[in-house]
Amino acid sequence: MKIAVLSGKGGTGKTTVTSNFAVNIKNSISIDSDVEEPNLHIFMDMKNPTSKPVYTLYPSIDKDLCTLCGKCGDFCNYHAIIPAKNQVIVFSESCHDCGGCKLVCPNGAITYKKREIGKIFNGRSKYDTELHYGLLNIGEMSGVKIINQLKNYTDSDETVTFIDSPPGTSCATVAAVEDTDYAVIVSEPTPFGVSDMKMVVEMLRQMKIPFGLIINKSGLGDEEIYHYCKDENIEILGEIPFDKKIAELYAHGEIFSVSIPKYKDLFNNIYKKIVEGRRSL
Amino acid sequence: MKISICSKKTGLDSLLDERFGRAENFTIVDLDTNIVETIENTAKNDASGAGGEAVRILSKHDVNIAVVPHLGPKAEKAMEAFEIKTVSQGDYKSVGEVLEAYKAGKLKEIVKINGLTRL
Repeated sequence: MKIAVLSGKGGTGKTTVTSNFAVNIKNSISIDSDVEEPNLHIFMDMKNPTSKPVYTLYPSIDKDLCTLCGKCGDFCNYHAIIPAKNQVIVFSESCHDCGGCKLVCPNGAITYKKREIGKIFNGRSKYDTELHYGLLNIGEMSGVKIINQLKNYTDSDETVTFIDSPPGTSCATVAAVEDTDYAVIVSEPTPFGVSDMKMVVEMLRQMKIPFGLIINKSGLGDEEIYHYCKDENIEILGEIPFDKKIAELYAHGEIFSVSIPKYKDLFNNIYKKIVEGRRSL
Repeated sequence: MKISICSKKTGLDSLLDERFGRAENFTIVDLDTNIVETIENTAKNDASGAGGEAVRILSKHDVNIAVVPHLGPKAEKAMEAFEIKTVSQGDYKSVGEVLEAYKAGKLKEIVKINGLTRL
């Protein structure tokens, strides 16, 4: 089973929730797919990970075969390939590696070269759980390729994989959430938290992924989130209180249910609810 | 000889657009016949690379000189590859004004600093 953890707004507690699931749910795998700024491995204290590069392809043009017909330029949505007067210019960083320009080229003038866009790190946490994360190189536009490769580490039916997703509702978030069995939204009860959560709800409904909500920093803000969940029939799976002690533990890089064991049940019960909810479908 | 000007609306009275790749329209003037034509910049809402595509559009309309506010690195590279000369629109406000300024030789060429164009 794959469970995505996402939020809309940044800083609401996705990694806090993912790490607490990871240490409490036996034999779980956790993946940090926020490849622009991964931090789950810091909280999980990953030991000596192995790494491997992730590549993307971009077009290279054989000048002898190219007739400057312009078809590649007409095709490319991202204008990564532009046939000009006496040459074809390629903006490799804009290329989404779809392979389309090669297909439309009538002269077989296009081949592809590879370029490293980031890395995937694999290893185990100090809690002896399996952990994977990706890191996008600075200046790169899209981490979708890294996220898709990260999700190859989830394909076991017996284990549950928690996928810490990027904030927002961009392509990267869609890639992280795609093909998951359930999504846990983490929101804070503030106007910003609710506003961004609404976009996530809309996205998940379109993607037909069942979901529930964890309210983090409960006690902060206002009541809007409760009204919204009632109106929209969204299940509140659990609440993490707005507690200075939890914030202090976070600041020290600690996982709060490890330091305050009374919170273990919170995550175990939420997980139970998710599993039972899925059985009843 | 054709010159293109980044314009918000159509015709010589239009205000200049302050952006190149995402300009609303391009007003193209044939300096030999004085025929004025405004085309829509179909690249303006593209996800990425609007600058490079806008240059390609100008080339399709046989533009030789582009009057621009400033250029991003991709548009600059494309201008070179399409052999289109670029001049700065400076502080002029309307298409007509900047056209007269060009004819009077008052527009400056764009200077490149560290791969980025500056006025």
